[in-house]
Amino acid sequence: MSDAEIIQGLQKDLGGKALELTNPEPRRIFLKVAPADLVAAAALLRDRYDCAHLSTISGVDRGDVFEILYHFAGPAAVISVRTEVAKAAPHLATICPVIPGAILYERELQDMFGLVIDGIPDARPLITPDDWPAGNYPLRKDWKYERPEERIPGGKS
Amino acid sequence: MKFQIPIGPQHPALKEPISLRMTVEGEVIRDADIRLGYNHRGVEKLAEERNWIQNIYLTERICGICSHSHSTCYVQGVERLMELVPPKRGMYIRYLVSELERVHSHLLWLGVAGHEAGFDSFFMYVWRDREIVMDLLEMVSGNRVHYAINTLGGVRRDLDEGQKARILEGVGTLRKRSEYYLNIGANEPSFVARIAGVGRLTKEQAETLCAVGPTARASSITRDVRKEDPYAVYDEMDFEVGTADTGDVLGRVVVRVKELLESYKIIEQIVRKLPDGPIAVKAPRKAKPGEVVSRYEAPRGENIHYIKANGSEKPERLKVRAPTLANYPATVEMLRNGFIADIPLIFAAIDPCICCAERAVTLVDIRSGEETAVRLSDLRRRAAGRGPNALPKRNAEWPL
Amino acid sequence: MLTKLTRWSRIKSPWILHLNSGACNACDIEVVAALTPRFDVERLGVLLKATPRHADVIVATGPVTRQMKDRIIRIYDQVPDPKFVIAVGACAMSGCVYRGAYNIMGGIDQVIPVNVYVPGCPARPDAILDAVVKLLGTL
Repeated sequence: MSDAEIIQGLQKDLGGKALELTNPEPRRIFLKVAPADLVAAAALLRDRYDCAHLSTISGVDRGDVFEILYHFAGPAAVISVRTEVAKAAPHLATICPVIPGAILYERELQDMFGLVIDGIPDARPLITPDDWPAGNYPLRKDWKYERPEERIPGGKS
Repeated sequence: MKFQIPIGPQHPALKEPISLRMTVEGEVIRDADIRLGYNHRGVEKLAEERNWIQNIYLTERICGICSHSHSTCYVQGVERLMELVPPKRGMYIRYLVSELERVHSHLLWLGVAGHEAGFDSFFMYVWRDREIVMDLLEMVSGNRVHYAINTLGGVRRDLDEGQKARILEGVGTLRKRSEYYLNIGANEPSFVARIAGVGRLTKEQAETLCAVGPTARASSITRDVRKEDPYAVYDEMDFEVGTADTGDVLGRVVVRVKELLESYKIIEQIVRKLPDGPIAVKAPRKAKPGEVVSRYEAPRGENIHYIKANGSEKPERLKVRAPTLANYPATVEMLRNGFIADIPLIFAAIDPCICCAERAVTLVDIRSGEETAVRLSDLRRRAAGRGPNALPKRNAEWPL
Repeated sequence: MLTKLTRWSRIKSPWILHLNSGACNACDIEVVAALTPRFDVERLGVLLKATPRHADVIVATGPVTRQMKDRIIRIYDQVPDPKFVIAVGACAMSGCVYRGAYNIMGGIDQVIPVNVYVPGCPARPDAILDAVVKLLGTL
């Protein structure tokens, strides 16, 4: 399948659900959908486009909204499905029923951005330490870390 | 009756901290749970505070075994954002180091697999030969680990004729030795019996759980970024994707040895075809706003970086997904219904690189609810004493 | 007489524990490489032990991550006296490139006392060997 064929196919299959379809370079396709259509889009990519492999989920903090990208890798192209959720109500449906391998990435999103993944099979923290204060999400742009003063063993000389 | 066993975060077999929690019924593992975070350093946040050049060296230090993989993946992406085309010679040298790194990583793993299967002389032999490739890497780049040879727009060091001859000579020796190891693996019944049928993963499971690299290829999935998304020089190279259909630890050993032999082939091709010309072009300080998905086949599987630029000297976002993280859900599946004694072997078989993904195994006894920390050395002892009345394993055969 | 004997045994066979507190694996493979035929630290009587309770020397690599901090102290407490710590690599000395990251507490000396520092990113196996010899020289 060539890039143009995939784009045509996606336009036909998704219709108005595909908010934006771009192909900035060969074998890279970016598709934008509304958060509500995400699970359907993932299922479509898995069944019709041989993109059952979810490479990763990346989140980007863009001020008022979180931009979430699901990178699906198929034999023909990497299709990145983009969706946006408002920072005020960061809720997103889980895609684990469609792609079980997404669990670790969704847990990572919860830890790093404070997104709430509705229906996630396992919501425990994955990478933040046990004593991590609640409500701190490191990858948000407004979150800053101040390095505490270090102790120099033996003192300065 | 079920027990839970914690393993780690400090344990001797694997050199990094992670916590595994096994639910066992007798000797059989029913469920496994992985807790990460012992090695989480926050590289992605740090990357947002550094400029494009500094980030090359930061991404390189995500992992010490596949350091070149991460920096190359990053550099590939940034070059596309900056619309830079590195010169041919620079590209060839970059991917030469890439393949040398794959050889070093697979040899390292082969040794560790031998060690976990209780075959320590194999470990020592392999690691002795690994020093050959370490010397080659040191000669090419100037350092044994963390080569720092990548720069935006090419590489930092050139190759001369003498070095080319030494690489070919080194690869020749390694190929002979690798064939000898293959022979040992094929004709050493105790080694084959230990690894055959351990840690099964079916093709369907590997697909739904998004496994990558040799772990997926051992379950007959021909997924290799070098073939399906040929970046840089790989469309000019003649090589095959090694797969196995057994889906067990034996299959993973086979896939990696096949890959070693293919890597020698690629290295020879690169050295023989090395074009003349400059090795790098000058890179601008800033990248235009935009985004890029960069993929790279690291020794452990697909490595993917998502880079977003906002027009400044620093990246807006750098998302790194290392192959080991993608293999964890599959590992849990492999451990299920296996034996406690097989934990180190199965876990080592995915070639885990915790620092990449971001270690302890807990065995909790469900009968008493008692929790005992078990070290992998104890597990290995249990493996040795597993006795003749263990469940029969699949008939051991070498599929090559 | 007895002190002479213990000192002799300490110098002739220091047992080491390899402790990774969040390193990038580079120093770790160099520590393992130091044990393998090319460098072979075992000829000096150095033996890699699996448990802190058997060890005399902790070879620590990597910066200290927040999650590992308490565990490192626990491991240090389990090592019988007298104990020594070798910090291998730039990360274990100061934090290296990760200095300033939110999950990093700094070098290993922020948590436990260190006897020998080995610089390098990563430290070469010969440097690690040299560090072990220098440590034995102080006894």
